Amino acid sequence: MVGVRANKAHRDERIALGFLVTSSAIFVIAIALILAFLAVNGTALFYQDHYSPIAFLFGSDWDGFGGKFGAAPFIVGSLVATGFAILVGGPLGVAIGLFFSELAPKRVAEAFKPAIEVLVGIPSIVYGWIGLTLLVPLIARVFHAEGDGLLAAGIVLSIMILPTVISLSEDALKVVPNALREGSAALGATRWETMSRVLVPAASSGLAVAIILGIARAIGETLAVQLVLGNAAVIPGSLLTPAAALTSEIVMDMGDAPEGSAFRHALFTMALLLLLIAMCLIVLIRLALRKRS
Amino acid sequence: MASVVAAKPAAAPLSGDRARSRRIVDRIATASLWTAASAVVAMLIAFVIYVFVQGYSAISWHFLTGYPQSAVAGGGVGPEIFNSFYILLLTLCFTLPIAVLAGVFLQEYAGPGRFRDLVQFSAESLATVPSIVMGLFGLIVFVQLFHWHFTALGGALTLTLLNLPAMMRVTQESLAGVPNTYREASMALGATKWQSVLRAILPSAIGPLTTGVVLVSGRIFGETAALIFTAGSSVSFGASAYDFNPFHTAETLAVHLYSTQREALVPDATQIANGSALVLLVMVLLFNVVARIVGRQLTQRFTGKAS
Amino acid sequence: MVEPQQSRLPALRSKMKIDDLNVYYGSFHAMKHASLDVPDRHVMALIGPSGCGKSTFLRALNRMHDLTPGARVTGTVTLDGNDIYAPGIDPVTVRHRIGMVFQRPNPFPKSIYENVVYGPKIHGEGNAKRLAEICERSLRAAALWDEAKDRLHRSALDLSGGQQQRLCIARVLAVEPEVILMDEPASALDPIATSKIEDLIGELKKDYTVIIVTHSMQQAARISDFTTFFLLGDLIEVGTTSEIFTRPTDKRTEDYITGRYG
Repeated sequence: MVGVRANKAHRDERIALGFLVTSSAIFVIAIALILAFLAVNGTALFYQDHYSPIAFLFGSDWDGFGGKFGAAPFIVGSLVATGFAILVGGPLGVAIGLFFSELAPKRVAEAFKPAIEVLVGIPSIVYGWIGLTLLVPLIARVFHAEGDGLLAAGIVLSIMILPTVISLSEDALKVVPNALREGSAALGATRWETMSRVLVPAASSGLAVAIILGIARAIGETLAVQLVLGNAAVIPGSLLTPAAALTSEIVMDMGDAPEGSAFRHALFTMALLLLLIAMCLIVLIRLALRKRS
Repeated sequence: MASVVAAKPAAAPLSGDRARSRRIVDRIATASLWTAASAVVAMLIAFVIYVFVQGYSAISWHFLTGYPQSAVAGGGVGPEIFNSFYILLLTLCFTLPIAVLAGVFLQEYAGPGRFRDLVQFSAESLATVPSIVMGLFGLIVFVQLFHWHFTALGGALTLTLLNLPAMMRVTQESLAGVPNTYREASMALGATKWQSVLRAILPSAIGPLTTGVVLVSGRIFGETAALIFTAGSSVSFGASAYDFNPFHTAETLAVHLYSTQREALVPDATQIANGSALVLLVMVLLFNVVARIVGRQLTQRFTGKAS
Repeated sequence: MVEPQQSRLPALRSKMKIDDLNVYYGSFHAMKHASLDVPDRHVMALIGPSGCGKSTFLRALNRMHDLTPGARVTGTVTLDGNDIYAPGIDPVTVRHRIGMVFQRPNPFPKSIYENVVYGPKIHGEGNAKRLAEICERSLRAAALWDEAKDRLHRSALDLSGGQQQRLCIARVLAVEPEVILMDEPASALDPIATSKIEDLIGELKKDYTVIIVTHSMQQAARISDFTTFFLLGDLIEVGTTSEIFTRPTDKRTEDYITGRYG
């Protein structure tokens, strides 16, 4: 009878809704828990071990077992490697995004696109392995140095963020209305002039998001940089001397630092720092997107 | 209204010096963009060739199925490959239901409002958490707090958190691709919303959904940083390395590649690393290809059209 | 194919001569063997039902089809005697001398000022003072100066539809073309904005040759000196506007004018 079936359907609907809402809530609970646990463990260094935050952020003296936790070398390392990656990979990614959006004929795009998608899929550890076995010896030969250091890390990171920047740039450019391309052409602009003076500015907020997400990927990358940085806990004098980053230090020493020690707490503080940087980047992305509308 | 054209030069010929230099700039720019794109594609091909050339000689049946050695040469990566698949399976068991349901909720049910914004924001935040930080979270909760120590389950749960946003986005995008007419038709036949989603909408999105799931699986397969401190960097001894006990320590192939690069204790560490890298790359390529093929087949079967 | 009635045009200097123009989109023959003389400094209207090819014809006049993959143009289009399709001619320079205003206003997401000086800047003008003069001159010529002079550096997208279209006209004028092509420039605008555009066209023809595509016969009758009628890719008839509308020679023209088809 219709009434009974309808009731069951409605009851199923309510049960389903319960599951749907719960699943969605899991996202909220998860990020809240992550923030909470990282905050507690990440500030233990200051509250429990009474280490000064200023000394942590700006001190360059790092000796895990010796109680010295100046994390400046790692902060500088992360910033320089990421900065390099963005300065090289950013414009390159946008340029290739322009290529796919404006220049590539359909068949070329169909041939090149799978290549970009494979680049996305290569695990970061494989990038690290390629960096260690191929890039570092190459740098050593060209520059007559050890080969590891921030240059190697920067190059590896540039390559790793390329697929992200390329596909987001392409999306941002494709959304620009064709009427603008026509209007610019009708005023006598060359294709490059249209691209550089009209399209890139018009797509600027989407391109900013592409770059910011590239930054997020670079600063969070761990293994690829750990294998090629050389892991010296000092602020490096050049791009060719061993250095270290926040992520590489964590993965290097977390296994050795005893549970509950100040050493371990310092590593968690570095993790908290990474998390906070990531959160800031999200806020930046939302600002960039709001500027568009 | 006064004439706009004051002193205009006599009709200029249809070419000029300035035009010529602009044309040159345009050609240089176009050539540069082509070069950049081709260089990146060539680089990818070079990487793939490099990995194959380096790792080819290390591949053997023994390598793919044998146990790792800790001090002598001749170890294999059999348990590690098993663990990679096992952890992938476990992760999907958790990720798929949660992410798909959440994606359905956001895409089909939730109207604009605070809860929706909160969930969206949480997903975005979750997506930017670096994998090493997620691994540390797993360390705090599963390894220490729950006293599990290194386990496959701990690794899988950590990977779940890491991949929930991606999987949810895959769901949302594939649902967005379903034309509204399907929803309207189903509701007009008296179906409840959940019935429509379950029987009409999700099935018609199965193609893009599967493609996305397989692609994310490829990323899960290659994940390392989140697993080092949750699933561990060693495997159990003997036959128990191949069982389905989620509470055993479970080094995956990717983690193994990392540990052989970092601490070369065995004399043939380079060989093992090369072979592992090759297997990883082949698996990723396979996931890519399978994703595409299966996605296309499923779309064809469930919707009757080619895309 | 009916020969266009060129002899009915008074003996005026031709700014542009189109001879045996054909446009193909792939294998589709969109414009067939069109020939036309466009008198200098007058308004020529192109009319015809939807899909007759008038926009296709217009776009061939400033080589816009170069931007469409799969489009092919044959025949000659001369400006002051020089064929713009001759090998070696750069379309970029062609569009400097033959400007175009589109159906929907398409200002760049920049300030009003930046929109207007876009063309001159590309063509090499760097002097800020001269650019400001060009900006004011063009905005005055487009009857937009009074409304824009206090918000030159605010976004062009804040303007109303009619103002945006006049901005697009100013943008074209800043490049100092000799011919202005207009593709249904007022069809997206309300009647008041439309009449402002029409008044503007009446002023512009003193200094420019204007070719305007319009789907409104009333508009063609109001503002144009000459009218050309197209149908299904053929150029059927051309003459002075009053002749076309009162004494068309081709029956197809007469059917269109009297509303037999729209």
